[in-house]
Amino acid sequence: MRLPKTRQILAATAAASALLMTAACGSDESSASDTASPAPAASDASDTAADDTAAAGDYADGTYEAEGSYTNPGGQSSVAVSLTLEDGTVTAVEVTPEASGTSLQYQQKFASGIADEVVGKALDEVSVSKVSGSSLTSGGFNAALEQIKSEAQA
Amino acid sequence: MESWTFEAIGTAWQIDTQAPLAPEVRDLVADRIERFDRDWSRFRDDSFVSAVAREAGDRELPEDAESLFDFYTDLHEVTDGAVNPLVGRALSDLGYDAGYSLTPSATPTAPTSWSTIDWGGADAQRRLRTDEPMLIDVGAAGKGLLVDHVASILWAEGLRQATVDAGGDLYHCGTTPIRVALEHPHDPTKALGVVELEPEDALCGSATNRRAWGDGLHHVLDARTGRPTTDVVATWVLAPQSCMLADGLATAHFFAEPERLLERWHHQFVRMHADGRVVWSPDLQGEVFA
Repeated sequence: MRLPKTRQILAATAAASALLMTAACGSDESSASDTASPAPAASDASDTAADDTAAAGDYADGTYEAEGSYTNPGGQSSVAVSLTLEDGTVTAVEVTPEASGTSLQYQQKFASGIADEVVGKALDEVSVSKVSGSSLTSGGFNAALEQIKSEAQA
Repeated sequence: MESWTFEAIGTAWQIDTQAPLAPEVRDLVADRIERFDRDWSRFRDDSFVSAVAREAGDRELPEDAESLFDFYTDLHEVTDGAVNPLVGRALSDLGYDAGYSLTPSATPTAPTSWSTIDWGGADAQRRLRTDEPMLIDVGAAGKGLLVDHVASILWAEGLRQATVDAGGDLYHCGTTPIRVALEHPHDPTKALGVVELEPEDALCGSATNRRAWGDGLHHVLDARTGRPTTDVVATWVLAPQSCMLADGLATAHFFAEPERLLERWHHQFVRMHADGRVVWSPDLQGEVFA
Protein backbone atom coordinates (compact mmCIF):
# COMPACT_ATOMS: atom_id res chain seq x y z
CA MET A 1 0.00 0.00 0.00
CA ARG A 2 1.23 3.46 -0.79
CA LEU A 3 1.70 5.75 2.11
CA PRO A 4 1.55 9.30 0.84
CA LYS A 5 3.27 11.98 2.79
CA THR A 6 1.61 13.08 5.94
CA ARG A 7 1.09 16.60 4.78
CA GLN A 8 -0.65 15.48 1.66
CA ILE A 9 -3.08 13.34 3.51
CA LEU A 10 -3.84 16.07 5.92
CA ALA A 11 -4.16 18.72 3.24
CA ALA A 12 -6.59 16.52 1.42
CA THR A 13 -8.90 16.10 4.34
CA ALA A 14 -10.59 19.02 5.92
CA ALA A 15 -12.07 16.63 8.42
CA ALA A 16 -8.68 15.68 9.72
CA SER A 17 -7.66 19.30 10.02
CA ALA A 18 -10.75 20.17 11.95
CA LEU A 19 -10.12 17.28 14.28
CA LEU A 20 -6.55 18.32 14.69
CA MET A 21 -7.72 21.66 15.93
CA THR A 22 -9.83 19.93 18.47
CA ALA A 23 -7.04 17.68 19.56
CA ALA A 24 -4.84 20.69 20.05
CA CYS A 25 -7.36 22.11 22.54
CA GLY A 26 -7.68 25.17 20.36
CA SER A 27 -4.56 26.45 21.99
CA ASP A 28 -3.00 27.55 18.76
CA GLU A 29 -5.03 28.87 15.89
CA SER A 30 -2.35 27.99 13.42
CA SER A 31 -1.99 24.36 14.41
CA ALA A 32 -4.14 22.89 11.66
CA SER A 33 -2.81 25.06 8.89
CA ASP A 34 0.74 24.51 10.02
CA THR A 35 0.27 20.81 9.89
CA ALA A 36 -1.26 20.94 6.46
CA SER A 37 1.01 23.55 4.95
CA PRO A 38 3.66 22.79 2.33
CA ALA A 39 6.36 23.54 4.84
CA PRO A 40 5.74 20.43 6.88
CA ALA A 41 5.40 20.77 10.60
CA ALA A 42 4.30 17.19 10.62
CA SER A 43 6.89 14.71 11.69
CA ASP A 44 7.48 11.61 9.71
CA ALA A 45 7.00 8.79 12.15
CA SER A 46 4.99 6.77 9.67
CA ASP A 47 6.33 8.38 6.55
CA THR A 48 8.04 5.22 5.46
CA ALA A 49 6.94 4.94 1.86
CA ALA A 50 6.41 8.45 0.65
CA ASP A 51 5.25 8.88 -2.87
CA ASP A 52 5.90 12.37 -4.11
CA THR A 53 4.12 11.80 -7.34
CA ALA A 54 0.77 11.28 -5.75
CA ALA A 55 -1.49 14.20 -6.44
CA ALA A 56 -4.00 15.38 -3.90
CA GLY A 57 -7.17 13.37 -4.13
CA ASP A 58 -5.46 10.47 -5.85
CA TYR A 59 -4.98 7.93 -3.11
CA ALA A 60 -5.36 4.23 -2.91
CA ASP A 61 -7.94 2.82 -0.56
CA GLY A 62 -6.68 1.81 2.83
CA THR A 63 -5.86 3.07 6.27
CA TYR A 64 -3.19 5.72 6.55
CA GLU A 65 -1.40 6.60 9.72
CA ALA A 66 0.61 9.69 10.43
CA GLU A 67 1.84 11.81 13.21
CA GLY A 68 1.30 15.53 13.30
CA SER A 69 2.98 18.01 15.54
CA TYR A 70 1.94 21.47 16.50
CA THR A 71 3.29 24.25 18.60
CA ASN A 72 1.40 25.34 21.63
CA PRO A 73 2.42 27.76 24.36
CA GLY A 74 4.01 24.89 26.26
CA GLY A 75 6.13 23.65 23.37
CA GLN A 76 5.73 20.94 20.75
CA SER A 77 2.98 18.38 21.03
CA SER A 78 1.97 15.53 18.78
CA VAL A 79 -1.15 13.79 17.69
CA ALA A 80 -1.47 10.54 15.83
CA VAL A 81 -3.90 10.51 12.95
CA SER A 82 -5.39 7.40 11.47
CA LEU A 83 -7.58 7.81 8.42
CA THR A 84 -9.38 5.35 6.21
CA LEU A 85 -10.01 5.98 2.53
CA GLU A 86 -12.53 4.16 0.36
CA ASP A 87 -13.03 5.17 -3.25
CA GLY A 88 -11.24 8.44 -2.57
CA THR A 89 -13.55 9.26 0.32
CA VAL A 90 -12.53 9.48 3.94
CA THR A 91 -14.64 6.98 5.82
CA ALA A 92 -12.95 7.11 9.20
CA VAL A 93 -10.63 9.48 11.00
CA GLU A 94 -9.13 8.89 14.38
CA VAL A 95 -7.01 11.47 16.11
CA THR A 96 -5.14 10.48 19.24
CA PRO A 97 -3.13 12.90 21.32
CA GLU A 98 0.19 11.19 21.85
CA ALA A 99 1.53 10.50 25.28
CA SER A 100 5.04 11.19 24.09
CA GLY A 101 4.06 14.67 23.04
CA THR A 102 2.36 15.41 26.31
CA SER A 103 5.23 13.91 28.22
CA LEU A 104 7.80 15.79 26.22
CA GLN A 105 6.05 19.05 26.84
CA TYR A 106 5.69 18.07 30.43
CA GLN A 107 9.34 17.13 30.70
CA GLN A 108 10.48 20.36 29.09
CA LYS A 109 8.67 22.32 31.73
CA PHE A 110 9.42 19.78 34.38
CA ALA A 111 13.02 20.83 34.89
CA SER A 112 11.86 23.73 37.00
CA GLY A 113 9.72 21.52 39.18
CA ILE A 114 12.30 19.47 40.99
CA ALA A 115 14.59 20.11 43.91
CA ASP A 116 16.97 17.77 45.70
CA GLU A 117 16.08 19.24 49.02
CA VAL A 118 13.61 21.78 50.28
CA VAL A 119 14.40 23.39 53.59
CA GLY A 120 11.16 25.34 53.72
CA LYS A 121 10.25 28.56 55.44
CA ALA A 122 8.99 29.15 58.94
CA LEU A 123 5.21 29.11 58.95
CA ASP A 124 5.06 32.56 60.50
CA GLU A 125 7.11 33.96 57.63
CA VAL A 126 4.56 32.95 55.04
CA SER A 127 1.24 34.69 55.04
CA VAL A 128 -1.34 31.95 54.83
CA SER A 129 -4.78 31.28 56.16
CA LYS A 130 -4.54 27.49 56.16
CA VAL A 131 -2.03 24.69 56.55
CA SER A 132 -2.30 21.40 54.71
CA GLY A 133 -0.21 18.41 55.58
CA SER A 134 -0.87 14.90 56.63
CA SER A 135 -4.43 14.83 57.87
CA LEU A 136 -4.76 15.81 61.46
CA THR A 137 -5.71 12.86 63.54
CA SER A 138 -8.55 12.64 65.98
CA GLY A 139 -8.42 12.45 69.74
CA GLY A 140 -8.93 8.69 69.62
CA PHE A 141 -5.90 8.01 67.49
CA ASN A 142 -3.74 10.47 69.39
CA ALA A 143 -4.72 9.08 72.77
CA ALA A 144 -3.99 5.56 71.61
CA LEU A 145 -0.64 6.65 70.24
CA GLU A 146 0.30 8.32 73.52
CA GLN A 147 -0.63 5.16 75.39
CA ILE A 148 1.51 3.02 73.11
CA LYS A 149 4.43 5.37 73.59
CA SER A 150 4.16 5.37 77.35
CA GLU A 151 3.86 1.59 77.45
CA ALA A 152 6.92 1.33 75.25
CA GLN A 153 8.87 3.48 77.68
CA ALA A 154 7.66 1.62 80.75
CA MET B 1 -14.64 35.37 59.77
CA GLU B 2 -16.39 32.70 61.79
CA SER B 3 -15.10 29.19 62.34
CA TRP B 4 -17.02 26.13 63.38
CA THR B 5 -14.73 23.34 64.55
CA PHE B 6 -15.59 19.78 65.45
CA GLU B 7 -14.23 16.25 65.22
CA ALA B 8 -15.68 13.69 62.85
CA ILE B 9 -14.60 10.63 60.86
CA GLY B 10 -11.32 10.57 62.73
CA THR B 11 -10.15 14.07 61.98
CA ALA B 12 -10.53 17.70 63.03
CA TRP B 13 -12.90 19.79 60.92
CA GLN B 14 -13.10 23.53 60.54
CA ILE B 15 -15.68 25.37 58.48
CA ASP B 16 -14.97 29.05 57.91
CA THR B 17 -17.81 31.35 56.91
CA GLN B 18 -18.40 35.08 57.02
CA ALA B 19 -21.22 34.82 59.54
CA PRO B 20 -21.80 32.11 62.14
CA LEU B 21 -23.49 29.06 60.66
CA ALA B 22 -27.16 28.77 61.57
CA PRO B 23 -27.99 25.81 63.82
CA GLU B 24 -30.13 24.22 61.14
CA VAL B 25 -27.24 24.36 58.67
CA ARG B 26 -24.97 22.78 61.24
CA ASP B 27 -27.55 20.04 61.68
CA LEU B 28 -27.62 19.37 57.95
CA VAL B 29 -23.84 19.10 57.90
CA ALA B 30 -23.76 16.88 60.98
CA ASP B 31 -26.47 14.61 59.56
CA ARG B 32 -24.63 14.20 56.28
CA ILE B 33 -21.43 13.31 58.04
CA GLU B 34 -23.26 10.86 60.27
CA ARG B 35 -24.82 9.15 57.26
CA PHE B 36 -21.43 8.83 55.61
CA ASP B 37 -19.88 7.49 58.79
CA ARG B 38 -22.64 4.92 59.24
CA ASP B 39 -21.96 3.56 55.79
CA TRP B 40 -18.19 3.78 55.52
CA SER B 41 -16.60 3.79 58.94
CA ARG B 42 -14.58 0.73 59.79
CA PHE B 43 -14.42 2.02 63.34
CA ARG B 44 -18.06 1.30 64.21
CA ASP B 45 -19.92 -2.01 64.33
CA ASP B 46 -23.13 -0.87 62.67
CA SER B 47 -21.62 0.35 59.40
CA PHE B 48 -21.96 -1.18 55.97
CA VAL B 49 -18.20 -1.67 55.94
CA SER B 50 -18.32 -3.62 59.20
CA ALA B 51 -21.09 -5.84 57.86
CA VAL B 52 -19.02 -6.65 54.79
CA ALA B 53 -16.06 -7.35 57.06
CA ARG B 54 -18.06 -9.81 59.18
CA GLU B 55 -19.35 -12.14 56.52
CA ALA B 56 -19.74 -12.79 52.82
CA GLY B 57 -22.94 -11.64 51.25
CA ASP B 58 -24.91 -9.98 48.52
CA ARG B 59 -25.69 -6.44 49.57
CA GLU B 60 -27.30 -3.33 48.27
CA LEU B 61 -24.70 -0.60 47.81
CA PRO B 62 -24.94 2.33 50.18
CA GLU B 63 -25.10 5.96 49.15
CA ASP B 64 -21.83 7.16 47.60
CA ALA B 65 -20.70 3.63 46.73
CA GLU B 66 -20.83 4.26 43.02
CA SER B 67 -18.82 7.49 43.21
CA LEU B 68 -16.22 5.89 45.43
CA PHE B 69 -16.01 2.50 43.72
CA ASP B 70 -15.87 4.00 40.25
CA PHE B 71 -13.04 6.27 41.30
CA TYR B 72 -11.24 3.48 43.14
CA THR B 73 -11.49 1.37 40.01
CA ASP B 74 -9.65 4.10 38.10
CA LEU B 75 -7.09 4.58 40.85
CA HIS B 76 -6.51 0.84 41.10
CA GLU B 77 -5.83 0.67 37.40
CA VAL B 78 -3.58 3.70 37.13
CA THR B 79 -1.47 2.63 40.12
CA ASP B 80 -1.20 -0.96 38.88
CA GLY B 81 -3.08 -2.20 41.91
CA ALA B 82 -1.33 -0.20 44.63
CA VAL B 83 -4.50 1.69 45.54
CA ASN B 84 -7.24 -0.73 46.55
CA PRO B 85 -10.09 -0.17 49.01
CA LEU B 86 -9.69 -3.72 50.28
CA VAL B 87 -6.48 -2.68 52.00
CA GLY B 88 -8.48 -2.24 55.21
CA ARG B 89 -7.57 -5.72 56.48
CA ALA B 90 -3.86 -5.04 56.10
CA LEU B 91 -4.24 -1.69 57.89
CA SER B 92 -6.05 -3.44 60.68
CA ASP B 93 -3.47 -6.22 60.88
CA LEU B 94 -0.76 -3.61 61.20
CA GLY B 95 -2.54 -2.11 64.20
CA TYR B 96 -4.66 0.63 62.66
CA ASP B 97 -7.77 -1.24 63.71
CA ALA B 98 -11.20 -0.37 65.01
CA GLY B 99 -9.89 -0.36 68.58
CA TYR B 100 -6.81 1.72 67.73
CA SER B 101 -4.63 -1.04 69.16
CA LEU B 102 -1.70 0.37 67.14
CA THR B 103 -0.10 -3.00 67.66
CA PRO B 104 0.48 -5.31 64.72
CA SER B 105 -1.63 -8.42 65.20
CA ALA B 106 -0.77 -10.33 62.05
CA THR B 107 1.58 -10.17 59.13
CA PRO B 108 -0.23 -8.06 56.57
CA THR B 109 -0.90 -9.59 53.20
CA ALA B 110 -1.87 -8.12 49.86
CA PRO B 111 -5.66 -7.97 49.55
CA THR B 112 -7.67 -9.44 46.73
CA SER B 113 -7.34 -7.37 43.59
CA TRP B 114 -10.12 -4.80 43.41
CA SER B 115 -10.62 -5.66 39.74
CA THR B 116 -11.97 -9.09 40.71
CA ILE B 117 -14.68 -7.70 42.99
CA ASP B 118 -18.25 -7.96 41.82
CA TRP B 119 -20.05 -4.73 42.55
CA GLY B 120 -22.02 -4.33 39.36
CA GLY B 121 -19.58 -2.07 37.61
CA ALA B 122 -21.42 -0.24 34.87
CA ASP B 123 -24.55 -2.35 35.31
CA ALA B 124 -27.76 -0.73 36.32
CA GLN B 125 -28.23 -3.02 39.26
CA ARG B 126 -25.34 -2.42 41.54
CA ARG B 127 -24.81 -4.70 44.49
CA LEU B 128 -21.70 -5.84 46.27
CA ARG B 129 -21.29 -9.59 46.19
CA THR B 130 -18.50 -11.02 48.28
CA ASP B 131 -17.71 -14.64 48.96
CA GLU B 132 -15.58 -13.99 51.99
CA PRO B 133 -15.30 -11.26 54.64
CA MET B 134 -13.48 -8.20 53.32
CA LEU B 135 -12.43 -5.04 55.08
CA ILE B 136 -13.06 -1.98 52.95
CA ASP B 137 -11.19 1.21 53.74
CA VAL B 138 -12.17 4.22 51.67
CA GLY B 139 -9.53 6.38 53.32
CA ALA B 140 -7.98 7.39 50.01
CA ALA B 141 -11.02 9.22 48.70
CA GLY B 142 -13.85 9.11 51.21
CA LYS B 143 -12.89 12.13 53.23
CA GLY B 144 -12.55 14.23 50.10
CA LEU B 145 -15.98 13.13 48.92
CA LEU B 146 -17.48 14.05 52.26
CA VAL B 147 -15.84 17.48 52.07
CA ASP B 148 -17.50 17.90 48.67
CA HIS B 149 -20.86 16.97 50.18
CA VAL B 150 -20.47 19.47 53.01
CA ALA B 151 -19.44 22.22 50.59
CA SER B 152 -22.51 21.42 48.49
CA ILE B 153 -24.78 21.74 51.51
CA LEU B 154 -23.33 25.14 52.34
CA TRP B 155 -23.78 26.26 48.75
CA ALA B 156 -27.36 25.01 48.67
CA GLU B 157 -28.01 26.96 51.85
CA GLY B 158 -26.93 30.13 50.11
CA LEU B 159 -23.47 30.45 51.62
CA ARG B 160 -21.18 31.79 48.95
CA GLN B 161 -18.11 32.35 51.07
CA ALA B 162 -16.97 29.22 52.83
CA THR B 163 -13.92 27.09 53.30
CA VAL B 164 -14.36 23.49 54.41
CA ASP B 165 -11.28 22.00 56.03
CA ALA B 166 -11.23 18.37 57.13
CA GLY B 167 -7.83 17.99 58.72
CA GLY B 168 -6.06 19.81 55.90
CA ASP B 169 -8.24 18.54 53.07
CA LEU B 170 -9.84 21.68 51.74
CA TYR B 171 -12.63 22.90 49.54
CA HIS B 172 -12.77 26.63 49.04
CA CYS B 173 -15.80 28.60 47.86
CA GLY B 174 -15.96 32.33 47.60
CA THR B 175 -14.84 35.29 45.57
CA THR B 176 -11.20 35.58 46.58
CA PRO B 177 -8.42 33.01 46.69
CA ILE B 178 -6.80 31.81 49.90
CA ARG B 179 -3.18 30.95 50.50
CA VAL B 180 -2.40 27.58 52.02
CA ALA B 181 0.92 26.45 53.44
CA LEU B 182 2.16 22.95 52.65
CA GLU B 183 3.34 21.60 55.96
CA HIS B 184 6.90 20.29 55.89
CA PRO B 185 6.62 16.59 56.67
CA HIS B 186 9.78 16.64 58.75
CA ASP B 187 9.09 19.88 60.57
CA PRO B 188 5.52 21.01 61.23
CA THR B 189 6.72 24.51 62.07
CA LYS B 190 7.81 24.98 58.48
CA ALA B 191 6.16 25.31 55.13
CA LEU B 192 7.54 23.41 52.19
CA GLY B 193 5.68 25.78 49.94
CA VAL B 194 2.52 27.78 49.50
CA VAL B 195 -0.32 27.28 47.08
CA GLU B 196 -3.12 29.60 46.20
CA LEU B 197 -6.59 28.11 46.14
CA GLU B 198 -8.94 29.83 43.77
CA PRO B 199 -12.67 29.63 44.45
CA GLU B 200 -13.94 26.11 43.72
CA ASP B 201 -10.50 24.58 44.10
CA ALA B 202 -9.86 21.64 46.37
CA LEU B 203 -6.57 20.73 48.00
CA CYS B 204 -5.63 17.51 49.75
CA GLY B 205 -2.44 16.50 51.42
CA SER B 206 -1.25 13.13 52.56
CA ALA B 207 1.88 12.27 54.45
CA THR B 208 3.29 9.31 56.27
CA ASN B 209 4.45 11.24 59.32
CA ARG B 210 1.27 11.66 61.32
CA ARG B 211 -0.91 8.60 61.01
CA ALA B 212 2.11 6.63 62.05
CA TRP B 213 2.44 4.40 65.07
CA GLY B 214 5.71 2.54 65.00
CA ASP B 215 8.87 1.79 63.13
CA GLY B 216 7.95 2.13 59.48
CA LEU B 217 4.26 1.76 60.31
CA HIS B 218 1.96 4.34 58.75
CA HIS B 219 -1.36 4.45 56.97
CA VAL B 220 -0.33 4.64 53.31
CA LEU B 221 -0.18 1.02 52.27
CA ASP B 222 0.79 -0.47 48.96
CA ALA B 223 -2.02 -2.95 48.31
CA ARG B 224 0.29 -5.05 46.19
CA THR B 225 2.21 -5.99 49.32
CA GLY B 226 -0.08 -4.96 52.17
CA ARG B 227 2.79 -2.99 53.66
CA PRO B 228 3.46 0.72 54.16
CA THR B 229 5.01 2.38 51.15
CA THR B 230 8.45 3.93 51.44
CA ASP B 231 9.44 5.88 48.34
CA VAL B 232 7.22 8.94 48.69
CA VAL B 233 6.63 10.53 52.09
CA ALA B 234 4.24 13.37 51.36
CA THR B 235 1.95 14.49 48.55
CA TRP B 236 -0.42 17.34 47.84
CA VAL B 237 -2.91 17.62 45.03
CA LEU B 238 -4.86 20.66 43.94
CA ALA B 239 -7.88 19.84 41.77
CA PRO B 240 -10.63 22.05 40.52
CA GLN B 241 -14.11 21.39 41.89
CA SER B 242 -13.55 18.01 43.48
CA CYS B 243 -12.02 17.26 46.84
CA MET B 244 -12.60 13.56 46.20
CA LEU B 245 -10.40 13.78 43.13
CA ALA B 246 -7.74 15.71 45.03
CA ASP B 247 -7.87 13.20 47.88
CA GLY B 248 -7.58 10.12 45.70
CA LEU B 249 -4.84 11.57 43.55
CA ALA B 250 -2.88 12.57 46.64
CA THR B 251 -2.78 8.85 47.47
CA ALA B 252 -2.11 7.84 43.86
CA HIS B 253 0.94 10.11 43.80
CA PHE B 254 2.59 7.81 46.33
CA PHE B 255 2.59 5.09 43.70
CA ALA B 256 2.19 6.30 40.13
CA GLU B 257 4.43 8.40 37.96
CA PRO B 258 3.18 12.00 37.76
CA GLU B 259 3.02 11.85 33.96
CA ARG B 260 0.54 9.03 34.08
CA LEU B 261 -1.73 10.85 36.50
CA LEU B 262 -1.44 14.20 34.72
CA GLU B 263 -2.40 12.64 31.44
CA ARG B 264 -5.56 11.28 32.98
CA TRP B 265 -6.74 13.98 35.38
CA HIS B 266 -6.44 17.74 35.38
CA HIS B 267 -4.68 18.61 38.62
CA GLN B 268 -1.53 20.04 40.16
CA PHE B 269 0.71 18.23 42.58
CA VAL B 270 3.67 18.49 44.94
CA ARG B 271 5.36 15.36 46.21
CA MET B 272 8.28 14.71 48.47
CA HIS B 273 10.36 11.56 48.28
CA ALA B 274 12.04 9.77 51.15
CA ASP B 275 15.45 11.00 49.97
CA GLY B 276 14.32 14.61 50.37
CA ARG B 277 13.72 15.24 46.71
CA VAL B 278 10.66 17.35 45.97
CA VAL B 279 8.88 17.29 42.62
CA TRP B 280 5.99 19.49 41.61
CA SER B 281 3.76 20.48 38.73
CA PRO B 282 5.26 22.98 36.36
CA ASP B 283 2.02 24.96 36.42
CA LEU B 284 1.62 24.94 40.20
CA GLN B 285 -0.53 27.80 41.50
CA GLY B 286 2.01 28.61 44.10
CA GLU B 287 5.59 28.18 45.10
CA VAL B 288 7.83 25.50 46.51
CA PHE B 289 10.60 26.99 48.61
CA ALA B 290 13.44 25.29 46.80
